[in-house]
Amino acid sequence: MTALTHVPEFSLSSVAGGSLALADLHASGPALLVFVSEECPTSTLTLRRLSPTIPDLARAGVRVAAVFEDPLETAARVARRTGFTGDVLSEPAPYDVSRAYSLQSLPTAVLIDRDGREVDRVVGWDAAGLRTLLSVPVTEEPPLRKPGCAAKNTYDAESLRALGGAGGFDELEEMFERGWTDGLPVIPPTGERVEAMLGGRDGSRLVGEMAPAMARVTLERVAACSVLAGCRPEYFPVVVAAVEAVLEPAFNVGGQAVTTQPCGQVLVVNGPVRDTIGLNGSVGVLGPGWRPNMTIGRAVRLVISLTGGGFPGRLDRSTLGNPGKISMCLAEDEEVSPFEPLHVDRGFPLPSSVVTVIGADAPLSISDHRSTGPLELARVLGEAAAATWSPNWWPLGGVSLFVICPEHARSFAEWGWSKERVREEIFSSVSRSARELRWGETTPLVNAAPDDQPIRKWDSPDEIMIVVAGGEAGRYSAVFGPCLGMNTEPISKEVQWTT
Amino acid sequence: MDYVSPFDERSRVTEPLAPRPADLSGARVALLDITKRRGDEFLDRIEELLVSRGAVTFRVVKEIFSKPAGPEIVRQIADRGDLAVEGLAD
Repeated sequence: MTALTHVPEFSLSSVAGGSLALADLHASGPALLVFVSEECPTSTLTLRRLSPTIPDLARAGVRVAAVFEDPLETAARVARRTGFTGDVLSEPAPYDVSRAYSLQSLPTAVLIDRDGREVDRVVGWDAAGLRTLLSVPVTEEPPLRKPGCAAKNTYDAESLRALGGAGGFDELEEMFERGWTDGLPVIPPTGERVEAMLGGRDGSRLVGEMAPAMARVTLERVAACSVLAGCRPEYFPVVVAAVEAVLEPAFNVGGQAVTTQPCGQVLVVNGPVRDTIGLNGSVGVLGPGWRPNMTIGRAVRLVISLTGGGFPGRLDRSTLGNPGKISMCLAEDEEVSPFEPLHVDRGFPLPSSVVTVIGADAPLSISDHRSTGPLELARVLGEAAAATWSPNWWPLGGVSLFVICPEHARSFAEWGWSKERVREEIFSSVSRSARELRWGETTPLVNAAPDDQPIRKWDSPDEIMIVVAGGEAGRYSAVFGPCLGMNTEPISKEVQWTT
Repeated sequence: MDYVSPFDERSRVTEPLAPRPADLSGARVALLDITKRRGDEFLDRIEELLVSRGAVTFRVVKEIFSKPAGPEIVRQIADRGDLAVEGLAD
């Protein structure tokens, strides 16, 4: 039997804080050191595959530590990403510990007994070798063997210098690691950026409490979300007004945030603020391309999903989701519209700047290039909306938002129709008998009605909301159907520049 | 690097679960109907089973399923009941 030799002592920084010495690791039983590095795929594969064995090893009294040839932040990030739950240590350049352990390649797993002596080691990913070394089940998924990468202590000085710039702390990756994102890159909310976003406002001001986390939504947290979303500070008053609207109990953001429905939040902005910050109400209005539209909608969604706790897959259980859960913010093109703008409909003076939030399904595009009169066009719009939510669920019991394109709006105006008339005619153009609707899942009203009773898609024209927006050319309007069962009402708030 | 968190970082206190009853005889059981479709049918059946085990049941109905139960609902359940069953989702 070969006598075991003592391995070199060390003390390295731990991501848990402070430092850990080899003696700590084998103080109460054997220790497994796994030398790894971020840029070595075999290292990350090994960490991912060893992670499930850690509880078995712990029961057997073996403590597992990953020793990264990387800075602490990188080690922490890779450990989180690979689900590695053992101790995580960072070994700085010039990698003297690795050298003392005579490493040639990463990963290298070294088993040390409780007296600090090396029992054996496995180099590279070697499922059978690790099973023998550790006496615990190790995955039998291929690849069963994979060679590793050169250990950094073997690099020459020039390569090490070249590496110096790589693999360090990455702010953008850090945001993903923290989960401060909707899945897209974000701007890190440094104190400086959040201060700039607040623009002298009191960050501790409580805007409200948001379900489902019942989180205190302070102005500072709204500012942090606005920075993350990529807003410029001049957009912030619009975000704040929208968040205030979302927090109104009648909006029921908590229900919208957690439901299995595809419920997003649409923001419609009216008034002079549109020009002040460059919000788009024209070509491509429901799509990408304009920073204020994209980032204001996104900021509100981040307040809901991060601060408020309605994060997809966690407390947000939406079966399909909807692009409105990423960002949906549009300006009404009041200048090309022949109608009164939305905020005036809702009782605000024309010169005020107002945000209206609507809990809504995804938009449905409605093409019409051939209608020869207003009744026909109103019917096209209404019949398209008849399929929203479900084709036989009448009445909807919620507000539908129609985005009427400039060409359609102009036609209505040329035919002499007001916005009120358009709303009434969309309402009355769509009707079915109870008999036609009585199939599949339908409403109690339809089930109780006599066969020939006409049923409408909406309870009243008041449930039809109209804004005019979109490119000058093209006869494509759209409708956002409602979220049902949420008892949600559209809410409008005036944009305050100084709060 | 210090960042401003978007989260409410207050630590949350997890309340321990109330002790489970050894048996149901004489227990006052609140049946919370959240108004989801057919939730009442589910609760009817639960009620039959509870009553057959000697429990005394009473119904509490939420205004709408998509909003949290208000404090008065919670108070009713706490004041009148020893146990509660909630018919959740459809």
